[in-house]
Amino acid sequence: MTANEFIKKVFFIEILKGLALTLRHFFTPSVTRQYPTEKREPFPGSRGLHALVRDPETGREKCVGCGLCAAMCPSQCIHIYTSEDDDHKKVVDRYEVEVLRCVYCAFCVEACPYGAIVLTDHFEYSGYSREELYYTKDRLLHNWDKYMANSKGREYLEKFWRPKSEDFGVPAAGHHQAEGKKAT
Amino acid sequence: MIEITIDDRKLSVEKGITILEAARRNGIKIPNLCFDKRLRPYGGCRMCVVEIEGGRKLASACGHPAREGMVIKTNSPRVRRVRQSVLEFLLVHHPLDCPECDKAGECALQDLVFEYGVPETRFTGERKHAQPDVRGPLIELISNRCILCAKCVRICSQYQGRGALGLIGRGFPTVVQPAFGEVLECDYCGQCIDICPTGALISKPYKYKARPWFLEEKENICSFCGVGCTLTLGIREGRILRSKGREGAGINDGNLCGRGRFGFDYIYSENRLRTPLIKEGDEFRDASWEEALTYVARSLSSIRDAHGPNSIGAIGSPRCTVEDNYMLAKFMRAGLGSGNIASSEAFGYAGALRAFSLSFGIGSNPADLASPLGRDVILVLESDPTITHPVFGLNILRAKREGSRLLVADYRETKLTRHSNTWLQLRPGTLVALLNGMMNVIMDRGLFDRDRVSGIRGFSSLEAVVKEYTPAMVSEITGLTGEAVTDAAVTFANAPRRLVIMPLAVSENNKGPGSALAAANLLILLGEEPSSLQVPAEYCNTYGMLEAGIMPRGGGMDVFDMLYKPGHLRALYIMGEDPLVSMPDSRKIKNTLRSLDFLVVQDIVMTEAAELANVVLPASSWGEKEGHFINAGGLRQRIRKVVEATGKSQPDWQILRNLGLAMGINLGAKSFQDITKEADDFIAGGRREAEGAPRPAFHPVAYEPEEPCDSEFTYTLVTRDVLQHSGNMSTRSEALKLVQAEAFLEINEKDAERHAISDESHIKITSRRGAVYLRAKVTDAVPEGVVSTPVHFPSGGINELTHFSGNTCSRLDAVKIERVK
Ligand code: SF4
Ligand code: SF4
Ligand code: SF4
Ligand code: SF4
Ligand code: SF4
Ligand code: FES
Repeated sequence: MTANEFIKKVFFIEILKGLALTLRHFFTPSVTRQYPTEKREPFPGSRGLHALVRDPETGREKCVGCGLCAAMCPSQCIHIYTSEDDDHKKVVDRYEVEVLRCVYCAFCVEACPYGAIVLTDHFEYSGYSREELYYTKDRLLHNWDKYMANSKGREYLEKFWRPKSEDFGVPAAGHHQAEGKKAT
Repeated sequence: MIEITIDDRKLSVEKGITILEAARRNGIKIPNLCFDKRLRPYGGCRMCVVEIEGGRKLASACGHPAREGMVIKTNSPRVRRVRQSVLEFLLVHHPLDCPECDKAGECALQDLVFEYGVPETRFTGERKHAQPDVRGPLIELISNRCILCAKCVRICSQYQGRGALGLIGRGFPTVVQPAFGEVLECDYCGQCIDICPTGALISKPYKYKARPWFLEEKENICSFCGVGCTLTLGIREGRILRSKGREGAGINDGNLCGRGRFGFDYIYSENRLRTPLIKEGDEFRDASWEEALTYVARSLSSIRDAHGPNSIGAIGSPRCTVEDNYMLAKFMRAGLGSGNIASSEAFGYAGALRAFSLSFGIGSNPADLASPLGRDVILVLESDPTITHPVFGLNILRAKREGSRLLVADYRETKLTRHSNTWLQLRPGTLVALLNGMMNVIMDRGLFDRDRVSGIRGFSSLEAVVKEYTPAMVSEITGLTGEAVTDAAVTFANAPRRLVIMPLAVSENNKGPGSALAAANLLILLGEEPSSLQVPAEYCNTYGMLEAGIMPRGGGMDVFDMLYKPGHLRALYIMGEDPLVSMPDSRKIKNTLRSLDFLVVQDIVMTEAAELANVVLPASSWGEKEGHFINAGGLRQRIRKVVEATGKSQPDWQILRNLGLAMGINLGAKSFQDITKEADDFIAGGRREAEGAPRPAFHPVAYEPEEPCDSEFTYTLVTRDVLQHSGNMSTRSEALKLVQAEAFLEINEKDAERHAISDESHIKITSRRGAVYLRAKVTDAVPEGVVSTPVHFPSGGINELTHFSGNTCSRLDAVKIERVK
């Protein structure tokens, strides 16, 4: 043992150093947020609860039930059931998300050719039963009204998830015909 | 064999085949949109272009024969560029409908575009604006998505022999349509749906139901006719949504008829039984299994104790599995000690078996679905296998295309008569006379090997019987000309490889075991083997049911004693059959059923017979249970449980086992595997017994007219199957009902005029036994003096009119027709 080491041992130098660090933190501002009393504003485009986009023209869902979102979903939590209506058009009878299983990858949003499904920035949801967190079509549309009201939804789609229909000329929902996009 | 090189692989291939075929056989993929192995090359899509070394231009692989020493590149940059342009052109007017299109996910066009990467088009053009044609019952045509590969048109005319679709118009606005833009009226086989590379032809019952990637695909054997096709079922969350053929799967190799494709939904009929029912007074009430089985056990035991085991009978089902039928036979024989086991096949295939054993001395003669191929002459007798056994029928059409002569003897026009070389339009039920007449000609002209044949037992009596059937006399009976009979005989006798096809169906009254005997006589006379007599068994498991022991043996009563003679039985156990719909003279049967002390009906739906039962037991249907079917060719195929059982229903064999336990009889079957094995051993034993070389013998049959028409009953009623149905279970299918929902009566135009009957009007037909009301279908397909109707429909009640006598040639009925105001 050298003299230096001996002195360090006798005067608890290391321990004092540690305590000094602790002491210093008493005087720095805290970074812990007092959730839930204190909430942070989510960043734009952050991924939370699902919502089905309501088409302002028809007042119904924009979704045509193509099933691409369900195909892409890595946790397989989207269930879509479609049928034919009296006008021989495809209608979405049920669109359901088991949100408890969602991993917030937003693949569904990316896959959707129509920009018909979004992940809102609402992330605080909990329930006493699984059923409460099983979202049906109506509840998902309600989510859109609630969390993506006014221009928020449109901006979200424009900024983050431009639907492919706008890039590739996929026909708008409910229209059978597409006009091909000209090469630029 | 020639040597070629494809993509640096040296191959030796058959001479004369195309490059595409050579590549396919060696597992090399060449993309294509208009090729199908069943069709002649068309060369319409140009996706299959390949580069041939030394050639200036690219060649289309589907139409270009492979030649010695060719060096072919299927995937060079040049080839890829051309294919990319082809796709680009297709997309100029293709609607990008994928999100709504049912084909997406399994669309050849979509896959190729994905593979070749055509993100945008350099051209803009007009897109098609044809409205989807939604008028037909089962098939929707969405011309906008059509890429004009003409596969549908070609399969329909070249393979299906129907020709219902055409490419109408020229150039850009060309659409696929039935002639004159009428509603598609055809066989509804749906072959065009499967073959269409795009979503231009889609199945209406499946439309918008699910995307292919939501489906789980499982294979199962079709539950209708004796062909035994393999269906590829698309199942989503425990419900079968569609059925299609898959190339390479099963004996059908991708072909299906409309019943297999659309008819599976009978298992979702609202009529399905969900729980055991016990009759109290005149009403049924729900019961538990335990209660119902105890009740049945007690009743059967007391009847057996009071009247002996022979007072109890059972009826098996050609739609239930081998295991189910085996269990029923075992329950009756080993359990109750009764040999009274019968089935509806007494009116059908059992008669054929009798004929085989008399004529050829063999216990079985399984049909061979490929038998028509390579024959010089095919004689089809008073039947239309393209209706009764559609996928087998395709082979008859194919043989005809490949050069066989097709002779069809039938009273009415059918698809087969339209394709025949010679249509012998005889009077219904006179087949035996025609066959005897043909033998007369053959003997007369010495067109057979007398030395070889004259030693066969019964030859002299055959000669004696046949002698009378001169062409002139046969002409009198059958209505054919003498020359026609002679020509048919000469053509048939002179051909080196011959085949006779005649399904014997429960539901058809114009033939009988006697007709099969007469056909066998003709073949033996010409020195043919049993395999030239093709009598395909009727339903999915007719063959297996009979092999599993559902036939009266050891002094047991047959169906005639059991059902037509009240008083012979005290109790009856009916499994999966509705004798009131499927067997002739249903009034007599109804009386017998009413006279019973105890009737148990075990079925998947409420049937007419079940209404009369004391106890109704719910059975699981096809698709809800495991088991085996044996098809008309004697091939044992596994059927699988692909969806959950409806309600409390149970597999038939299991119900019987439990009933046995309730009666204190241990039938020894613990598990499904046990009973499969036991049934297998039993069948194998039966087959071993039946082995042995054929011992041919002649059993001459004389023509007996059946129920002649008189001044009151002036029409002959013929019952014949319709294409969309098979037995009566298919009438529970909503999809098939869209095509044919109710019974109808076909009547000739002239006769209709005489009675002032128009199409669709209501008519009353009366026979000596009863009367029913049907809708008229005025047609020129049936001749004057003959009316024709199918018996499938329970609501039609046709069998109230029909009868059964000892006549082995036919059981035709004389009826009268009245218009109903
Ligand atoms: S991808 Fe879009 S349009 Fe398609 S089913 Fe999902 S939400 Fe609906
Ligand atoms: S046919 Fe194929 S490419 Fe055309 S819309 Fe349907 S899925 Fe898409
Ligand atoms: S369903 Fe069959 S018969 Fe009808 S158009 Fe298609 S291929 Fe032809
Ligand atoms: S409907 Fe389908 S099969 Fe028929 S020509 Fe068009 S793309 Fe081909
Ligand atoms: S009914 Fe017969 S021919 Fe048609 S799909 Fe079924 S087994 Fe095949
Ligand atoms: S497959 Fe050869 S041209 Fe279509």
